[in-house]
Amino acid sequence: MTNHWCDLQNADVFLTCGSNNVENHPISSKWVQKALDKGATWIVVDPRYTRSAACADIYCPIRAGTDIAFYGGMFNYIVKNGLMQKEYVANYTNASYLIDPDFSFDVNTGLFSGWDEGKKAYATTTWGYQTAEVVGPDTSATGAFSWTTADGVPEFTPPSNKVAKKDPTLEDPQCVFQVFKRHYERYDLDTVCSICGMDRETLELVYKTYCATGSPEKSGTIMYALGQTQHHYGTQNTRALTLVQLLLGNVGVAGGGVNALRGEPNVQGATDLAMLVYDFPGYMKWPTVQKYPSLRTWMETETASDGYYTNKPKFFISALKEWFGENATSENDFGYDWLPKIGSNTDLSIIPTFEHMDTGLIKGYWLWGQNPAHSAPNAKFARQAMSKLDWMVCVDITETETASFWKAPDLDPAAIGTEVYLLPAALIYEKFGTVVNSGRWLQWRNKAVEPFGQCKTDLEICDLLWKEIVGLYKAEGGANPDPILNMKWDYHIDGKIDARSVAMALNGYTTADKKLLGTFGDLKADGSTSCALWIYAGFYANNDAPLDPAQQRIGGRGTEDKGGLGLYQDWAYAWPLNRRIVYNRASADTEGRPWNANRMLVAWDGEKWDTNDVPDFVASTKAGDGTVTPVPPNNKAYFMNWEQNARLMVPSLDMPLPEHYEPFESPTENILNGRQNSPCIKFAEHKSVQRGSKEDYPIAVTTYTLVEHWQSGSQTRNTPVLVEAMPAQFVEISEELAEERGIKNGDRVRVFNNRGSAVLNAFVTCRLRPLAVNGKTVHQIGIPHHWGWAGSLSTGDLVNDLAPNVGDPNCFVPEYKAFLVDIEKV
Amino acid sequence: MTDSAILYDSSRCSACKGCQSACKCWNGLPSPLGKEAGGCTGSYQSPLELNGDTRLLISFNEKRNEKGGIEWAFARRSCMHCVNPACAAVCPSGTLHVDEASGMVAVSDEKCIGCQYCASACPFGVPHHYGPEPTVNKCTGCVDRIEQGRVPACVKTCQPGALNFGDRAEMLAIAHERVALLKSKGFDKAVVYGEDELDGLHVVSVAKYGLDAAGLPENPQVNDIVDWLGIMKPLTGIGAGAILAGLGLSFLTGVGYKRHTLHYDEVAHDVVDMDTGEVLQHIDVDIDVERKA
Repeated sequence: MTNHWCDLQNADVFLTCGSNNVENHPISSKWVQKALDKGATWIVVDPRYTRSAACADIYCPIRAGTDIAFYGGMFNYIVKNGLMQKEYVANYTNASYLIDPDFSFDVNTGLFSGWDEGKKAYATTTWGYQTAEVVGPDTSATGAFSWTTADGVPEFTPPSNKVAKKDPTLEDPQCVFQVFKRHYERYDLDTVCSICGMDRETLELVYKTYCATGSPEKSGTIMYALGQTQHHYGTQNTRALTLVQLLLGNVGVAGGGVNALRGEPNVQGATDLAMLVYDFPGYMKWPTVQKYPSLRTWMETETASDGYYTNKPKFFISALKEWFGENATSENDFGYDWLPKIGSNTDLSIIPTFEHMDTGLIKGYWLWGQNPAHSAPNAKFARQAMSKLDWMVCVDITETETASFWKAPDLDPAAIGTEVYLLPAALIYEKFGTVVNSGRWLQWRNKAVEPFGQCKTDLEICDLLWKEIVGLYKAEGGANPDPILNMKWDYHIDGKIDARSVAMALNGYTTADKKLLGTFGDLKADGSTSCALWIYAGFYANNDAPLDPAQQRIGGRGTEDKGGLGLYQDWAYAWPLNRRIVYNRASADTEGRPWNANRMLVAWDGEKWDTNDVPDFVASTKAGDGTVTPVPPNNKAYFMNWEQNARLMVPSLDMPLPEHYEPFESPTENILNGRQNSPCIKFAEHKSVQRGSKEDYPIAVTTYTLVEHWQSGSQTRNTPVLVEAMPAQFVEISEELAEERGIKNGDRVRVFNNRGSAVLNAFVTCRLRPLAVNGKTVHQIGIPHHWGWAGSLSTGDLVNDLAPNVGDPNCFVPEYKAFLVDIEKV
Repeated sequence: MTDSAILYDSSRCSACKGCQSACKCWNGLPSPLGKEAGGCTGSYQSPLELNGDTRLLISFNEKRNEKGGIEWAFARRSCMHCVNPACAAVCPSGTLHVDEASGMVAVSDEKCIGCQYCASACPFGVPHHYGPEPTVNKCTGCVDRIEQGRVPACVKTCQPGALNFGDRAEMLAIAHERVALLKSKGFDKAVVYGEDELDGLHVVSVAKYGLDAAGLPENPQVNDIVDWLGIMKPLTGIGAGAILAGLGLSFLTGVGYKRHTLHYDEVAHDVVDMDTGEVLQHIDVDIDVERKA
């Protein structure tokens, strides 16, 4: 979340789209209700009439997988009706930047300029800005790159800044705003309704209500989650809603934001710590063989030419110091060569992992709190692939479907040679340490009870593993010994592995005297600082009580609320730098006057900045002698981008502007352009996918979770009170489809496609209804995916067997949310 | 006596069942432990009825209205804590009684003799009995928590603020304000429940889609039989049970509150559920009420 849970109370309008916030994030309901009490309006756009929809003011149905059409229509509506917050867009985004004259989009082929059919990829050269001037890197004493000349900083050439040509009037036909406007002219109300399946009156009401937040003093927030992201264009769905927020001036303000709702599955912590194949902790890039063969190439590629990321090497080198400690020196590039590099031909994200097991490339599989025999798309294929493994280790709290994959109803245990180990893990309440919530708040959690039986914490298991592996390497040697034997592993207190030591490493400290650092501004690229996760710096920085989390910012329990906006500055610690609302510079105009005086985050008083939140911009400079000089307002509201402006258009990713394509398995044709699926779709060529046609499988389906259960249910399906509250698996179908197929409420039905089949209880409901899509009736059904065969209380068939194992090219997220099946009464 | 009340506002409720689960956890009430014990209810509602182990549940009632919109009514089903509780009036053993400090209908279950008069007397079908020698089980109003200055467990866990606890007059004022707001938003059937019904309830409800959708009986009445039972109270359970059966009890049945009707078989000395034929309790005629209590 750019904002945080408590900040929802400041919104004027909510748009829940791609999430079911009251069910999957119950805490949201508390703050949404507070805003409603102040007169806010709440819109829910969802394929199903959910419990969130029941609480909202406006419900709008939508066909799963058509969010870009919905948002594209909203862009068009905003521009046509003059609802954009123009001062914001003109100054704080790249709307005025001129784009390469060779940039184009061909409606007939559905392709942007630069497509290479052979490589199945875009050359993005025509997607960039026209250059006004090139400014060389400033390495003078006051320049952004002065630090690069210090002793011990590895040699590299900082990038030059290609300053873009601009037209502040936004009239130039090649400026981003005009390109954007032209691109979305096709997305008119009738076309959007035809694609998405809602009626025009409802769509207009939604657009009108939400776009009223383009008024400078109004705030609108979008709450999204996996409904938005789990598509083969999920990244673009998310970009689309971000663009709505930028056009309406809703980013950086209290009650606004781009709010990905993250919860118990710990997506926030997982992304912070880089549990994604191409990421390095702290949202940096993991080295690949091709792109970053050396530290120098990494620094030259990843360092921004302007803005705050001109400092990026400081964060990366401080992280390398934490990985390799004293063994990381300026001479050996701080151990960069010891980091394993991602090869160019091996994709190891979740979907191809099973292809590699199937072909025998992957022989062993270590799983930590993950249950892919249940949760992977095309899970049946995943289980078949697992059966070719030599060994598997599962660290979990129960015997999950993965830990017992060989017992799957469709596998023969006698034919499987995989040796499976299940290591019992401690539950969250059986260990202490750091947790991070969706609003980026880092909080310390104490242990409530001792782990049950022989269960161990993840940290203890890591420690045992590390000791064993390093011991074996020392005794017997082995492949690639350097990374292992040079790694630092000193996270022990009184001889025991301890989360407090890890917290100090994440926070960062000086390598000479081990003083904890208060801010990542103190990090250096010369090896004098060590920091595993730069974005967390400051959360655990009290040098007077390093062993007492209660005396650290992470243990903060102050309830004062400076500014009265629910920022609660002294409760826990919000990364980065305890900033509660990121991009908060954009909450005020170019003169520094808040758009809404009652929601002041930062304000320029003529001489200095008044602040309720920690400024997300250069609010002052500090000279060598310690003199602080305030920096008057300017338009650099997004200083984490080299342009220091937000991007309506991006010269990277799979599309420069979000364009509508149909789900991989869709009940209809794409009527907005000549290409059915995104050209950059990943893994569609795999045989295992077994794509189904709309003729064979005419029913559109979406999958989801319920408030009563959690994910693959390994915890909740073994908790009696929760099983009692939602005891059995079901599929929700409309009364119309039920009538057509002769299905009654409570009947057993089979839902199937080429990949799998699941027998479920039918819930016949008026909360789902057929949609009129491109002139035809489309039936849409919904299935919660919590159930599987494992567990002692409530079991069921695996719905993820049905989902296609195709994904998004940026983050490889599978398309769980929209595919095709058929349904019959058993 | 403090006149307090629980306020349930269905227009804030997200039907997350946090209250249903918190009630079970705080009161140590069991849930089924058998594999696939629950079965499919055909609804988000589970269990479908209050039972000996479930004192509170969230009910779901959906329909498409004439305008094509969907009305998904959530309601909270539990003891209403009547100001003049019929259950306490008929209870021969003092098990059910009004808690002076809060006005809630509290339960001293160690006193229960299992006569089940309360189950038949309650206009909402709330009391249920369980155990090898069935004793009464119903919402206690969390008087144990209230005594310690805490709110009831269900109220404590509610995230959207659909549940509230405080002075009854204050809860009623909030409810009326809410209904006025809902009506201004076009929810014509929105209504306050619990102000005057049965001389007032200590659970005040805002029914967003009206009483029918919430399963709340309009104008609930205590059957005259309660007066009879009141007179009979000093007598043994057997005698009163016989009267119950003899008068052929038939109280109103609401959409939501499904009550069970009991029959006392004078020959076998069994208390029988007339809907299921199940023998709920066998009464040993040799043990008098006083000794059993």
